[in-house]
Amino acid sequence: MGDSSRRRRIPWRRWNNILHRDLGYLAVGMTLVYAISGLAVNHTDDWNPSFRFVREEQHFDPLPVTDRQAMARALVEVLDLPGPPKDSFRSSPHQIQLFYDGWTVEADVQAGVAIVERPRERFILRDLNRLHLNHPRGLWTWVADLYAVVLCMLAVTGMFVLKGRKGLTGRGKWLVGAGVLVPVVAVAVVRGCG
Amino acid sequence: MRTALFALLLTFAATPALADTTYGEGIHGQDTVPISTILANPDAWVGKTVRVQGRITDVCQKRGCWVAIASDQEFQTLRFKVQDGVIVFTPDVKGRTGIFEGTLARYELTREQAVERARHHAEEQGKEFDPATVTGPEVYYQLEGTGAVVQD
Repeated sequence: MGDSSRRRRIPWRRWNNILHRDLGYLAVGMTLVYAISGLAVNHTDDWNPSFRFVREEQHFDPLPVTDRQAMARALVEVLDLPGPPKDSFRSSPHQIQLFYDGWTVEADVQAGVAIVERPRERFILRDLNRLHLNHPRGLWTWVADLYAVVLCMLAVTGMFVLKGRKGLTGRGKWLVGAGVLVPVVAVAVVRGCG
Repeated sequence: MRTALFALLLTFAATPALADTTYGEGIHGQDTVPISTILANPDAWVGKTVRVQGRITDVCQKRGCWVAIASDQEFQTLRFKVQDGVIVFTPDVKGRTGIFEGTLARYELTREQAVERARHHAEEQGKEFDPATVTGPEVYYQLEGTGAVVQD
């Protein structure tokens, strides 16, 4: 009786651990994408996580404040710019912007100062951020959804990997509780502040 | 497995480049209003959904949460503000033209608030800020954006 019941038992923990291990392997790439990008986009108050800005200040003898086209032509000459801009705009009589493909020049012709600004994509990081923020949409939405399901499964199966003192019934319950408490307290604080 | 990975990569690689980029809800079929018309009497437009067109003269360099649109008249711009994270304009949109849709909003600021706003704006754009440039209380208008189409 005892032997046959032992034989019928489903080794669920073994399967749980196999599932946890293999999903963990599968999730490595995506987890790194979301973790690295997460660190980057968490700090948008301090920096642009996808672009950096290369600014070059140039000085020139002040130019006369005339009409927009004449000012643009004069700037192209004094700053030795590669041809006429796509377009230009004056935000005030003496401040003019010249627009080129992917870069701009902002000049104060009275002060004789121009700033050439070129945004540059941050290497790799921009692509990771695009994936993290689901800019591709379409098929990527499904991939990201699947990854979210895998993460849930990793979390659940992870709780049952070990049994005994180091398992869920031992110190695991305290660690799981502490982990759950983090978002719970955060929500309470945010609601309290709101 | 290799075939599946290759097919996945091919799907992304084969995604055609679009001529225009649509942001948020895009734009809907209504007439475009010149920015100069709105700014000539902005209070008449407050709370109304409007569509404007123009070249992007500036973009929020940290969050991409606003762009400044050049008016059809010199020395005028209108800020198109979007919800943080919902729409994100990349810095390379600066200099491109687009069509923008949203609701015009009016804000009244005390001098202190105006100084803080200008300081925040300067920090965002990586520019120096002199509080003396803000001389008093300020009223400003901006388009609270729902969608846009920017030409590449």
